[in-house]
Amino acid sequence: MKKIVYLLIFFSTVFAACDKADSGTTSKTTGTDGNTGQGGSLARFTTAMDHLYVVDDRKLYTYSLANSANPQLKGNIDVGFSIETIFSYKDKLFIGSGTAMYVYSLANPAQPAKLGQATHVRACDPVVANDSLAYVTVRSGSRCGGNVSALIVYDVKYVTQPIERNRVIMESPWGLGINGNRLYVCNGNNGLNVYDITDPIRPVLKKQLSGNTFYDVIILDNMMIAMIEGGTAIFELKANDEITLAARITN
Amino acid sequence: MTKRPVAWVLLPVLLVALASCDPFGRHGRDPEPVPESPKEVDGWAPVYNKDEANKQIKSMEPRTIDKGGKIYVKGDTLYQVESGKGIHVIVLKQPSNPQKVAFINVLGAQEIAIKDNMMYVNNMNDLVVLDITDVRAVKIADRITSVFHLVDPAHPPGTGYYECVDASKGEVVGWEQKTLSYPKCRN
Repeated sequence: MKKIVYLLIFFSTVFAACDKADSGTTSKTTGTDGNTGQGGSLARFTTAMDHLYVVDDRKLYTYSLANSANPQLKGNIDVGFSIETIFSYKDKLFIGSGTAMYVYSLANPAQPAKLGQATHVRACDPVVANDSLAYVTVRSGSRCGGNVSALIVYDVKYVTQPIERNRVIMESPWGLGINGNRLYVCNGNNGLNVYDITDPIRPVLKKQLSGNTFYDVIILDNMMIAMIEGGTAIFELKANDEITLAARITN
Repeated sequence: MTKRPVAWVLLPVLLVALASCDPFGRHGRDPEPVPESPKEVDGWAPVYNKDEANKQIKSMEPRTIDKGGKIYVKGDTLYQVESGKGIHVIVLKQPSNPQKVAFINVLGAQEIAIKDNMMYVNNMNDLVVLDITDVRAVKIADRITSVFHLVDPAHPPGTGYYECVDASKGEVVGWEQKTLSYPKCRN
């Protein structure tokens, strides 16, 4: 719980993501600036290092937020095709596309520089990450393409060359979020899966939450905010993986 | 001489293979508006706007969540995009009793981020900065026009099937995911 775990949000063909932030003592958000909020893993906007990063289908746009009321466009970079999500973690950006995960360095925040990429099966793919690992979900289907639906664990210790370390088959994985040694993965109309990632390379299924169609999550301390079919659901995260529904906002 | 027999063996195989394709769905029982168009498939549908008044960015009374899009949290406030239409503002001071406090009208909205009291949101393909110090009376602080391409009125933001655009329903301000039946358009 002391570790600050950020999620990367990545996405590929659709929106897919459940995202997450940190489990630190203060509820920080997707940016490294204390005054930003936190998005889900399906996001195309993220903040880090006092900059706003935006991805559209092909490009990454960088805006300085030095003056938060008047962002300044610093430039744009061609990333690839079918870009869907962006997630920031510390001094890196993780960008998800329909066929790959790209990693960019923010050593110079005004000018992100490509570090590496992992090409994966054609599918929808949100991502979250921490210092050494990136968790990516790939969801196949008529819209996403491909024939693999799974949670994939990449070793990103050497970001120039991410290596696939494990693959957990799932029914319909969407967005995801990390909280300490727990990984929350939206599973569409199959609910939400909670994995124990004490051994980070081998997620162990601890719990399945049904009753809602889950698309994305944001985890803040002991609260889980989920984008569900038709709105949002708020859950309290308690000891022993107990998860209690606090409210549903669907009208 | 040695290659001929191979061709003769392959011919019937090819014929059988072709026959089993039934590429035009003639043997199907259900009507198929487009060959190979599935009866049920997830895809995209346009979000339309017909009301000129919606083009104005402003705070409105809270409203019903229709579809519910991407989510963003800052402090004890949750922001949920209503794809193509705007942002629901919901206060979570008491998680068991969330309070909708406003709806911010932003045509084409898909994405948001917040720093301090400034919200960054796409208004179609413009980046708009809103001062949300009072979410019930937001003010436009800045607008950067036509940089990114987040909303394409002609095509959905991904590959696959989509509901064809019907211009009589208004201007396309976004796309939402939807289960489609025999869709006629494909990206």
